[in-house]
Amino acid sequence: MRQLLLAVVSMSIFTLNLFGVDATLKIEKDVEQRARIALMDGSTEQSSQVFDILLSDLKISGHFLPDSTHHIGDLSSNYIIPALKSQEYVIKYTMDQRSGAKLLVRLLKASDGTQIFKKSYAISSKEKMPFLIHKAISDINNILQYPSISWINRYVAYAVYTTPGRSEIRLADYTFNYKKTIIKGGLNLFPKWADRAQRNIYYTSYKGTLPTLYKLNIYNGTKTKIASSEGMLVCSDVNNDGSKLLLTMAPEGQADIYELDLASKSKQRVTNFKGIDVNGRYVDDESRIVFVSNRLGYANVFKKSIEGGATSQVVYHGRNNNACDAHGDKIVYSSRESSNAFGDNTFNLYLTSTGSSDTRPITTTGSNQFPRFSTDGSVILFLKQSGHSSSIGYTNLTSHQSLLFPFNDRKVQSIDW
Amino acid sequence: MTHKLLLTTSLISLLLIGCAQPAPDLAGKNNISDANHIEGDTVSIDENSYGTGSTGNYNSSSDGFKSIYFGFADYSISPDMENNMNHNIEVANTAASKIKIEGNCDEFGTDEYNYALGLKRAKAVKDSIAAQGIDPSRMVMVSFGESNAVCTEPSESCYERNRRVDIRLMK
Repeated sequence: MRQLLLAVVSMSIFTLNLFGVDATLKIEKDVEQRARIALMDGSTEQSSQVFDILLSDLKISGHFLPDSTHHIGDLSSNYIIPALKSQEYVIKYTMDQRSGAKLLVRLLKASDGTQIFKKSYAISSKEKMPFLIHKAISDINNILQYPSISWINRYVAYAVYTTPGRSEIRLADYTFNYKKTIIKGGLNLFPKWADRAQRNIYYTSYKGTLPTLYKLNIYNGTKTKIASSEGMLVCSDVNNDGSKLLLTMAPEGQADIYELDLASKSKQRVTNFKGIDVNGRYVDDESRIVFVSNRLGYANVFKKSIEGGATSQVVYHGRNNNACDAHGDKIVYSSRESSNAFGDNTFNLYLTSTGSSDTRPITTTGSNQFPRFSTDGSVILFLKQSGHSSSIGYTNLTSHQSLLFPFNDRKVQSIDW
Repeated sequence: MTHKLLLTTSLISLLLIGCAQPAPDLAGKNNISDANHIEGDTVSIDENSYGTGSTGNYNSSSDGFKSIYFGFADYSISPDMENNMNHNIEVANTAASKIKIEGNCDEFGTDEYNYALGLKRAKAVKDSIAAQGIDPSRMVMVSFGESNAVCTEPSESCYERNRRVDIRLMK
């Protein structure tokens, strides 16, 4: 039994190394918790893209150990081939992309072919095919009563520079198989989701004399001016119910963090420092923030109460920690670790918390920036650059599984998930 | 232990089978009822009225002003920029309209921090000009972070050209 477990653990480590990046190892526990699952494709025209997205969804969920073989077989039959009897579940599916996209899935018990779930999904826009897959895997995850992975259904909003002085704001699914430009022309930066339903985004426009923050309904195009400021203006965070924003702005030429109450239109200055205070994020019960400041002479992460009081240092590691994100009491930050100013542009990500000085590395190689938590805080998105290639990376903090997806867009300015 | 595990597994399996969703008609259409936000069409907005055809106007000084260059991660005006600053103060003294001071950075920064660094550079130039008697209310600062690069080659000489403050008159 022990030998069998050891063999499974060894195989799992090998699988993680094949598909993961910077995976840290707590494998034994995960092997016992994750369900072995295989995919069987019954489509008339098999697609490796569809299979790869299904596989990615299962992997990044943290709840499954998917078989990476693209099995081909009939959708309607309950017969499970002997090779898959060692699995716990088999997902049989067909994808038809001749007119829009239509996905049929059946979840079967591998031991006896009992059907647990079946559903069809259809969408008129063929380009949105990845979202059908994410929804199906999210449903299967729920049927099996695992913690929700609804974050795989969300849009990623991001800004990329196209030429000097110009940028575009785009939407993508989390794998970046789906991409669409929603704002082009001019310089529009720092997209930030305004609500949990992802119907509106905030972004900063440089169309006028001063940077101006707008709220845009991405479905009907309704645009509302929120604020403008000399110098810079960024919506850094939105509280849980969407009623308050953390803004980095500089009405007197000094970048500080303010909290804007959208109902009363009142702004409260949260930081007041002659250097740089940026990147405010709500933490704990939203009565406090973490932010990036150079008040010690270099960029680092600090925290303070919104109502005032002392500022305290959060991170005691690194000499250039210039971006962070937070979820509850968890904080992820990027740390520049290059040995000289213009050598290898090495940034790594670290995880810490407001209540502890414990710090854990999330990445160990390349340039890893723009860390963003999933809505439940269980997964971190980041942009990884290694050599001349860029990827969007994900690390599941519970299962320690990591995934990378090729990213071919131009230089990223900002990301929100 | 093994019996307990088997019993638990059996119970969970029974529960799963018991909780299985009624099988929908596989021929049904558009039944992703709880993902309507994905089904809807999102906007495509074109704001091309900004900067059309002359991006060069946005990554150098103009109207007689000279750009001020900075060291890595630094926002203090170095002594070798003194001549450029004196020249800019002379031009500012005779300027007929408001002056726009734009802070810029190299690519070695992320996200908001680089925009704040660009702003600190703009502020250093504004304060220096104001110290010579120019009314601060005649000057407006905007940080462009790393967005207005003059060049994109991975070389120190290129990075130096991007760490700058551009000055121009407001149109």
